[in-house]
Amino acid sequence: MAAAVAVTAASTESELDRSGTEEEPRGNDTEEDGPQQTGPASVPHSRLSKLPLSRIKALMKADPDVSLASQESVFIIAKATELFVEMIAKDALGYAQQGKRKTLQRKDLDNAIEAIDEFAFLEGTLD
Amino acid sequence: MAERPEDLNLPNAVITRIIKEALPEGVNVSKEARRAISQAASVFVLYATSCANSFAMKAKRKTLNAGDVMAAMEEMEFERFLPPLREALEAYKKGQKGKKEASEQKRKDKEKKNGTEENDKSREEEDDEEEHMEDEPDAENEGEEEDVEN
Repeated sequence: MAAAVAVTAASTESELDRSGTEEEPRGNDTEEDGPQQTGPASVPHSRLSKLPLSRIKALMKADPDVSLASQESVFIIAKATELFVEMIAKDALGYAQQGKRKTLQRKDLDNAIEAIDEFAFLEGTLD
Repeated sequence: MAERPEDLNLPNAVITRIIKEALPEGVNVSKEARRAISQAASVFVLYATSCANSFAMKAKRKTLNAGDVMAAMEEMEFERFLPPLREALEAYKKGQKGKKEASEQKRKDKEKKNGTEENDKSREEEDDEEEHMEDEPDAENEGEEEDVEN
């Protein structure tokens, strides 16, 4: 009973951790056998990034000029992407509100991209 | 599974959550807007990576590091991101350190119990600093495969 619960908790933690920490190869000797966080400094750092690091890394890999990237760099790009999403959503909202709408629409995104310098790199890239 | 850059989307559920948390209550986001933001986020990753990589190459380094990404943010005119990114990086480093220490401790405990069995496995835990882009097995399965285009 208790063991089953512990295992469930451990596998959930495993999933989160897998997307957060990217330790490889995944020998998995640290995660599977019982309570996940045993150390004193058990900051759930996998939750520092909402976006899965493995997906971010896969995107980075798409660049043929990139050979190696530190775990930290993958994490920072993930975090920056999060900030970017927040920023563009908020900026687009301004345009929706101008149109007295409470629903963000595609055209609000287009307006934001056109008007804001930092988003110039997006021009012509979205479907 | 030949993946082109354009095909690599970030999980819808996560993007949606980030958007919702950034906007006030009562605001909705159309499906098309959400999709566009998700695409934009992928483009952002590609652009940031390329930019960061050029800093690494200038420094004759093969490994892209956090400093390169910070420099890229400045180059891309996203200086406003730098303070929260620095903070997040510190927290991340602490977490990594704690985790490494915890797993080192676990390994030591196991060694006491098992003897030599753990020696091979422990070698795999040393090198967690670099993401080898070229020849990794790519066996990761995130729990967040929410790619259903609704």
